[in-house]
Amino acid sequence: MEILPQLLVNALIAGSIYAIASSGLSLAYGLLRILNFAHGHLMMVGAYLFYATRILLDASLTVAGIVTALGMTVIGALVMWFFVRPFSKFSPLLTFVSTLALGAMLEASVSMLFGVNVHSISRGIDFESYEIWGVFITPIQIVIVVSTLLILGLLAAVIHRTSVGRTIRALSENQYAAQCLGVDYERYTAVVFCVGILLAAYAGVLVGLETNIQPTMGNSYTIKAFAAMVLGGLGNLWGTVLGSYLLGLVENLSIGLDFGGYSLPAGYKDAFAFVIILLVLLFKPEGLFRRRSRRV
Amino acid sequence: MDYLYHLGVLFCIYVILAQGFNLVFGIAGLFNLAHVATYAIGAYTTALLAVELEVGFFQCIIASSLMAGLLALIIGGISLRLATDYFAIGSLAFSAVVSALLINWRSLTRGVLGIPGIPRPELLGIDFNQLSNFLWLSAIITLLALSSFWLICNSSFARSLKALAQSEHAAQTLGRDVARYRTWAFFISSLYAGLAGALFSYYLNYVDPSSFSLAEMVLVLTIVVVGRPGSFLGVCLSTFVLVVLLPEGLRFVPLEASVLGPLRQFLNALLLLVLIFINRARLFPTQRAV
Repeated sequence: MEILPQLLVNALIAGSIYAIASSGLSLAYGLLRILNFAHGHLMMVGAYLFYATRILLDASLTVAGIVTALGMTVIGALVMWFFVRPFSKFSPLLTFVSTLALGAMLEASVSMLFGVNVHSISRGIDFESYEIWGVFITPIQIVIVVSTLLILGLLAAVIHRTSVGRTIRALSENQYAAQCLGVDYERYTAVVFCVGILLAAYAGVLVGLETNIQPTMGNSYTIKAFAAMVLGGLGNLWGTVLGSYLLGLVENLSIGLDFGGYSLPAGYKDAFAFVIILLVLLFKPEGLFRRRSRRV
Repeated sequence: MDYLYHLGVLFCIYVILAQGFNLVFGIAGLFNLAHVATYAIGAYTTALLAVELEVGFFQCIIASSLMAGLLALIIGGISLRLATDYFAIGSLAFSAVVSALLINWRSLTRGVLGIPGIPRPELLGIDFNQLSNFLWLSAIITLLALSSFWLICNSSFARSLKALAQSEHAAQTLGRDVARYRTWAFFISSLYAGLAGALFSYYLNYVDPSSFSLAEMVLVLTIVVVGRPGSFLGVCLSTFVLVVLLPEGLRFVPLEASVLGPLRQFLNALLLLVLIFINRARLFPTQRAV
């Protein structure tokens, strides 16, 4: 079983990316009660924005990062303005349809602008892997794991230690009560939604640096983020984060270990997220992690 | 002339597909993202039965419908007990499982290569390799499917579904079992999707995973929203506009095929968005407060 430590590290890396991607989705669901079917597509757009500035315009890493962050904030605000807010008052079906349409439009426009082929965004990045106790890891993978922990720590600090965070928790617990006490719902939801999009974009760039980018990558990440969210319980942020790492673990163990001479082909790795969703819905629809909530 | 026949058959396939979605989405108000997946299952069932086992036409069509319906029953049984948000996620997950299987289960589906050589049927001595004959066959099947659908639309079953979409609790107090009604709606809509898939297989003589992408789902969604969800005639008309007229218009735009595909997807999604924006207040029954 000498392959096991490597699988665990790979699971940690994959889980980190999923955690960044799905925490934004979970925050948005907690506040807005919408399922954003374009979440993975926005991730893909973030990665392409980074590709356009870093590779096509040959900007430095910092500049490309800043441009991507600013661009995605604008896109996040636009999405909120045109795709979420007009519909949120009416039937929830409308936001499902509008975000699905958004995802299709984003995928189509990126295909038209950049072509459907695979691109690499990892120019000038060191891919030499270190060996630590028999486990191979590249510098970018270390960055992925560490930066994820930092971001999640920051998120936890903001949500549980500041007044802004208290307001956000109040809104996700009971929107109407919080509004009655004078919370500006529109402003908070817009900010939280944009933060979620920014996190998604960061996850998209990480995916790009770790592998490569393609217009069709969006949908499968949307589903993986949903899988993590279903595992953790809809709208339960820390459950979703744990669910992300669990998803990474299950995916990597499923293809890495052989079950009595029979191992699953790598193509099925993606299918696991989807099977997990169905299993959780069947046996534990409230999610694996209990949420301490006082919903009235 | 052959080209007109081609459009005719295409219309038949899509109108069955769209009406099926109309039932589950337009009437029952469920965001079912697995409709194209059940369509794919219908298409592959026919392809495999007709090519590998040389099963006859009617058996194939019935088997395809039932196969699609059966899988829908399983998925519906799992996720329709819960709130409708979960059903949306569960159906998306199911459609992803199906496309992963179509691509990766190579020993059965031949992966991205697809299954070629699905033979057109020969019934009563009529050769359906001729396009005009095949159009007649599809038209008869479509007519049967649509008339059965018309009956369903005007039944007490459809009324109960509408009531459930408007006020779940009120309908429950009147003795409507939410999960059971919704599962039936999902099952019946998938029967239609499976039937459309079988026709699609016979028509193209070839199936591959690329025909059943998310873009196809957006197209079906657009058809139903353009035709007004829940409206039988509206969806027939919008199928005609979106499947026959719109691609015809785009054929005269001088662009490469690699741009045209995404452009069509973009326009469909944009149309969908504009329509739900304009009609947002009255498109779907909002939950009535009792």
